[in-house]
Amino acid sequence: MTARLFAVGRAIAFVILALALCGVIFEFAGYSAPEMFQSIADGAFLNPGAWQGSLRWALPLFITATGVIISFRSGYFNVGAQGQFYIGAIGTTFVVDFMNGYPAALVIPLCFIAGIAGGAIWALWPGLLRVRSGADEVITTLMGNFIAGLILIYVTGGILKDPSGTGQVMASRPVAPAYRISSETGLSPTIVGAAIVVGVVMWILVNRSAFGVLAGLAGRNPIMIVWQGARMSRLGLAGFMLGGGLAGLAGAMEVLGPNGRLVSGFLPTLGFTAILIALVAGLSISGAAIVSLFFGGLASASLYLPVLAGLPAAAIDIINAAIALFITARAAPGLGWLAARRRAVGGA
Amino acid sequence: MNTGGQREAAVIEAIPSEAPSPSALQCRDISVQYGEVAALVGVSLAFAPKLIHAVVGQNGAGKTTFARVAAGLVKPVSGTLAIGGKEIPTGNVGLARAAGVELVHQNFALPPSFTVAEAMEFGAERGRPFFSRRGLEARWKKHLENLGVRAGLRDRIRDLPVEAQQGVEIARALVADAKVLILDEPTAVLSPSGIETLFERLKSLKASGVTIILILHKIREVLGIADTVTVLRGGRLVEGPVAARATNARRLSASIIGAQAEQEIAGDEAALVGATDEIKAAPVPAAVSQAAPVLAMERVFTRSDSEGPGLEEASLSIGRGEIVGVAGVEGNGQRTLVRVLANLVDAQSGRILLGGEDITKTPLSERRARGLRVIPFERNSEGLSLSSALWENWSARQLVLGSALKLINPARYRKACDASLKEWDVRYHTTAQPAGSLSGGNAQKLILAREIDADASLIIAAQPTRGLDVGATAFVWRALREARARGCAVLVISSDLDELFDISDRLIVMLSGRIVAEFRPPYRLGEVGAAMTGAH
Repeated sequence: MTARLFAVGRAIAFVILALALCGVIFEFAGYSAPEMFQSIADGAFLNPGAWQGSLRWALPLFITATGVIISFRSGYFNVGAQGQFYIGAIGTTFVVDFMNGYPAALVIPLCFIAGIAGGAIWALWPGLLRVRSGADEVITTLMGNFIAGLILIYVTGGILKDPSGTGQVMASRPVAPAYRISSETGLSPTIVGAAIVVGVVMWILVNRSAFGVLAGLAGRNPIMIVWQGARMSRLGLAGFMLGGGLAGLAGAMEVLGPNGRLVSGFLPTLGFTAILIALVAGLSISGAAIVSLFFGGLASASLYLPVLAGLPAAAIDIINAAIALFITARAAPGLGWLAARRRAVGGA
Repeated sequence: MNTGGQREAAVIEAIPSEAPSPSALQCRDISVQYGEVAALVGVSLAFAPKLIHAVVGQNGAGKTTFARVAAGLVKPVSGTLAIGGKEIPTGNVGLARAAGVELVHQNFALPPSFTVAEAMEFGAERGRPFFSRRGLEARWKKHLENLGVRAGLRDRIRDLPVEAQQGVEIARALVADAKVLILDEPTAVLSPSGIETLFERLKSLKASGVTIILILHKIREVLGIADTVTVLRGGRLVEGPVAARATNARRLSASIIGAQAEQEIAGDEAALVGATDEIKAAPVPAAVSQAAPVLAMERVFTRSDSEGPGLEEASLSIGRGEIVGVAGVEGNGQRTLVRVLANLVDAQSGRILLGGEDITKTPLSERRARGLRVIPFERNSEGLSLSSALWENWSARQLVLGSALKLINPARYRKACDASLKEWDVRYHTTAQPAGSLSGGNAQKLILAREIDADASLIIAAQPTRGLDVGATAFVWRALREARARGCAVLVISSDLDELFDISDRLIVMLSGRIVAEFRPPYRLGEVGAAMTGAH
């Protein structure tokens, strides 16, 4: 238990360090750091109604982050959540577009399935390349993000294009009101319920299932688990596809929920923020729930800053980048190498 | 080389009680601390020049740490180091080297992808910025010839046999004007004849004026080569350096093991310290029923790969209640043998039967379900996930065999793990602590607790005692014998012949992927050694 507390304390310390660094940057850029942080806090949590805005962003981030956690835990550095999110959203839009007119009770579940399947497929091919021929999944999933972004431009400019659109943004036709699962606020019983179900199921999978323990072992030492008779390819692919499927589910919920249509290049940082959440949370599902609220708040504040406080929204990007820097520095291979070296020396 | 013997005799007579000339290497009050573990405690030693000194002790006695301190690789918390009478700062490799101290590591340190010539040039961190292949070869040819190292200058290090690799390592260490050459467990990887060649080489080096410090743990070898013997135990100096002539196997054995440990290893002392002569007493032969072997391999061939040569026509059968030992110089197919039994490499042809059923194409999980258990070669990578909790490591096999989607209660596994580890006498705080926090002996006991259960029918133990102290080693042997008594078939792969002689009911020898000989007790070191090198 103390180890857990220590990990939490360390993550918080890194975030505070990152914020301090941002404060210095703000001051150098000619802004008042206290004022900047105050505005961010107002926009994220303190203003009336700010909590709803933060929650609206926290929910898709949390769902995507649980998928990232599953992938990372089973030892594969799937950084393709963004692309998997896009392909899931595209799959959903196809279903909702071509099944227009069918009853909502049929269309909405099919949309979810299409979203999950789209994300899973976009994780399947890097997964297969990894387990069959050892292609580095960091490269393939990262490339996959670009390809998915281009596919998104292609479909919103072509087959799914809204003919009545102004041409300023490439987007699909708006989702018919019958199939919407929330208004622009992004908060509805369906969305909150889905996030809770995902959280509970993923928590059980990680902490209370054979898969969770085996994936954890495989992630930390794939050689050992292979000598025990496990098939890394299966464990790894399962982790990959679960991660992709959850990102795709978040995509489905964005299209049917707050976005209401598929827009080219929408939410371009969601997948990457989800990776950040997974890392800050130390790959714990319950931790990710809390960390998602924090990053959801930042995302919400980035909309508030320029509009109401007259401050640049880029401040939030700087904060995200600084946190990423500190968290990945903590997990840097050099540190692990040092630890391994000390063990080797100590064991002699 | 042929004058070595006479000079040796002369020099031994000349060991002075109070050295008039400065010691080749002297340390005073050296203490080394690794975290909470004291690796060396107040060790003071002086080695006379131009002799061969042996430093002996069990695993964990502090031998390797001592070698590293002497070579400047480890900085002690206290103490001083003097080379040839001149004190040098501790913990500085560059200065130790400049003073003439060179260390040949237990695990060879030359880059495997280098050619011999490149390794000679750049292994010593004094390479020139530009080089031509021909220039390098010309420069090092003579050096290697003078030392009697038989290795082509264009051969890659990784392609050399271990004896030649070690020869190149030693030659590399002697590039500079080495006055003190330290070799850490140089015999561990060698066949008996390879050890003889090494000892000849060391004797001629001694004759040319180099002081040699050998880290060893076999008494037989110590008495065969050393002029003086120093014994470490638990990081403390027990005795030494004493003239090798003035001691004997029994006294050394007692010094190395220590009085309080002798009880727990009753019956195995001689094998544990390698003190024995050629013939071993036969172990108690169990009633072996040849009718239905637990494991039968019939003419199995595999491809060779990066991990070793392929098997060629390997046939082997092990009956119930039988321990079969596999001897051989490392890298002669022992790894492939274990991997083909664990389905980690495919058999190209031939059959493997477990309990009478063909398992040639059966995945490892199913083989494990049928009673196959494997204690892998590398405890810390293949055997355990060091950063995972004890209970996760312990329950891995059960979880692999069940459905991945099965819901589990970790508390129940932790409880079962707790009971099992207590039974196997593992020392730990909580089942949630990472496996990497266990000592080597306890880590191996954790693996035994997982692999030796009531359903085991065939136990493969690969290097089961490597790096363990005598108490833990004796524990492992006892566990394997108990498994045999319950009717398990046991296959033990080891590079320690004393270990194999002590516990094997039957011994096979592997050479270049083939099973070339089979022995039954009493074993003779000379015969087995000859089979290992194909000399018979």
